[in-house]
Amino acid sequence: MNTTQNNGEAGNIVETQGLTKTFGEDVAVQSLTMQVPKGTIFGFIGPSGCGKTTTVRLLTGYYKPTSGQVSVLGKNPTEFTKSDQEKIGYLIQHFVLYPELTVWENLNFAASFYGVSPFRRGRLNKLLKFVELAEDKGKLASNLSGGMQRRLSLAATLVHNPELLFLDEPTGGIDPILRRKFWDYFKELQEQGHSLFVTTQYVGEAAYCDVVGVMYEGRLLMIETPEGLRRRAFGGDVIGIRTTEAIRFEQRHLLAELPFVRSKVKIINDQEIEVIVDEANTATPSLMEWCQAQRLNVETIEEKSPPFDDVFVKLIEKETAHV
Amino acid sequence: MFKFFIRISSFLNKELTEIFRQPRLILTLVLGPFLIMFLFGLAYPDQNRKLRTTFVVSDPEAFQNEMKAFTEAYSSAVINQGVETDKELALAKLALNQTDLVIVIPDAPFETIQNNQQAELEVYHNEVDPFQTGYIQTIAGIYVGEVNSRILQNIAEQGQQDSGSLQSGLEEAIAKTQSIRQVVPAADVNTANQVEELEKTLTDLHANLTTFRSLSSGIVVNPFYVKVNGLSGIQFSVNNFFAPSVIALLLQHLSITFASLSIVRERRSGIMELFRVAPITAFETLIGKYVSYLFFEIILAGVITALAIWGLHIPLLGHWQNYALAVIALLFTSLGVGFLISLISQTDTQAVQYSMLLLLASIFFSGFFLDLRLMAKPITALAWSLPATYGIRMLQDIMLRGASAAPFVLRGILLIGVALFVVDWFLLRRRMETA
Repeated sequence: MNTTQNNGEAGNIVETQGLTKTFGEDVAVQSLTMQVPKGTIFGFIGPSGCGKTTTVRLLTGYYKPTSGQVSVLGKNPTEFTKSDQEKIGYLIQHFVLYPELTVWENLNFAASFYGVSPFRRGRLNKLLKFVELAEDKGKLASNLSGGMQRRLSLAATLVHNPELLFLDEPTGGIDPILRRKFWDYFKELQEQGHSLFVTTQYVGEAAYCDVVGVMYEGRLLMIETPEGLRRRAFGGDVIGIRTTEAIRFEQRHLLAELPFVRSKVKIINDQEIEVIVDEANTATPSLMEWCQAQRLNVETIEEKSPPFDDVFVKLIEKETAHV
Repeated sequence: MFKFFIRISSFLNKELTEIFRQPRLILTLVLGPFLIMFLFGLAYPDQNRKLRTTFVVSDPEAFQNEMKAFTEAYSSAVINQGVETDKELALAKLALNQTDLVIVIPDAPFETIQNNQQAELEVYHNEVDPFQTGYIQTIAGIYVGEVNSRILQNIAEQGQQDSGSLQSGLEEAIAKTQSIRQVVPAADVNTANQVEELEKTLTDLHANLTTFRSLSSGIVVNPFYVKVNGLSGIQFSVNNFFAPSVIALLLQHLSITFASLSIVRERRSGIMELFRVAPITAFETLIGKYVSYLFFEIILAGVITALAIWGLHIPLLGHWQNYALAVIALLFTSLGVGFLISLISQTDTQAVQYSMLLLLASIFFSGFFLDLRLMAKPITALAWSLPATYGIRMLQDIMLRGASAAPFVLRGILLIGVALFVVDWFLLRRRMETA
């Protein structure tokens, strides 16, 4: 497959400043400011109806912003020329290709539609192989499973080898195994030099992204790395300690007062607690020392990675409380 | 520029693949019109409707010959169901649909005529269809004409017989005049001239009377008859006459149906969202769709026409190039109507409804079975806004008259077609513009 060359140039492939879109009285996207570095997988995470698709539509030029600035590939999307549009691939949330056409015919349609040279058989075959549909190219799209249709859509999005991919909930409604496979595809595409802007409502998929934007009720709450999100959600790294004997109340109190511990100690059971620290790497030896000083026999002490579902809930709770 | 062709080819491949993937649809599209025309030909053979006719007359014997002569002369239009003496009974039969026509011959009609009055023939029917009523009025008119003609013929025959004695008298008068002329003195020039003039008048009168007597009474009563000739010299059957209209109407309907569903489906499926952000313009999209549907429908029209000409022996008296041009103009404009429907409809159902309404309007207003010249003037504007009106006119001219399409008709349909293309393009651009 031909790949789009990411020359490693520094810079952002997407930039917005105070981007707002309203529909009458409804504010779909409110004052969104973000930068998406080139060559990254940017995850755009949030619950259904939070404004993810509207944002993608603003970035692809489908919608005009009500206010604010937007720059994609260095240009305002509403002023894209054909050659700018050829650099973009857009995977729509639901299957929009033609059910009466076969996999191959749909892909061929998409290729013509994007103006890909008629000598493209090899490229289309490679794409079908990439999305593991080579054996099914003669099947009608209407006879494909939901997952296969998504893979076909992805292949059609890649058919013109775009530099920047907008993938709107590519894993929506498909099983976890296939979802994982999709993220493998995305990683591979990133390695080939594509930049990916992926929306999802599966919070757990944040782990596959380089950078994550968290969207809630039309507002971008934050942009962080996946780890950064965890830290922001819990106020630091989470370390779990399991001892062979019960940890007493006064010991838990003392632990909470240590300078590198960020919040109250969370009790899992008598012998197990979780503490939030500034830095797991530096705090772990100190915690070991403290346990020994307290004559607590440590069975395990390790950094915990709370599921992103918890992270997301925590972040939303914080944000709601803040508002 | 090369990419422009690649992009429009995407629709050509896609639309044709979708259509050709449905062999039953193609079979229906090709055989359907052929079967409709074939059945139409069977359903309406070149015969007038024969009216079962009952005569009501108080004295059946007196008019037996006249009634028999009439029904024999017009056997293609009338079936004699006999004579009733009771008018009410005959009307009851009419109400029960046991007869189509009741002709009531008045009592003693000749006496009425001799009294210098018209005798009234009453004709009863039970039709509600204005065309059938008109047909019956025509038949009644023919009947009364026939009766009048027969009476006049009898009178003429009587006159010819009576003039026999008159002619003998004239011959005697001429002989006497000749005798008088011989005894008039030569000096009395004035009298001689008058006698000679009288003799000449009598001789002319005799000659005219001879001619009158020698003429058939039928020619005396009906000296003229009508011979109607069409310019093409062909007597068209009902099937022949309707074939161009059926082809035009069908091609319009197919184009409108295909096109009306095309864009609305894409809008509903959501792929239009992709079109809006992809490097394809409304112009390329529309051209792609026009080209693909035109390509398919031209083939379809060719097959339907071939079946009509070779299968049903529908004449094509004009040049096939003119026919092809007319068909392309019709398809192009009909596609424009279809795309317009597609662009203003919110759902498939709405598009289908609009298409059906347009088909109905075309049946009633395009001249399909009612001549446009009968239409009230303001409504003709509606008629001439339908592609089928132009199509029917052009195909009739080319197929049945052997002429080319009237320039104003061809220009008219092309003008509408181009205007529709521009409107469709504008609407599609709006649909594909950034919201």
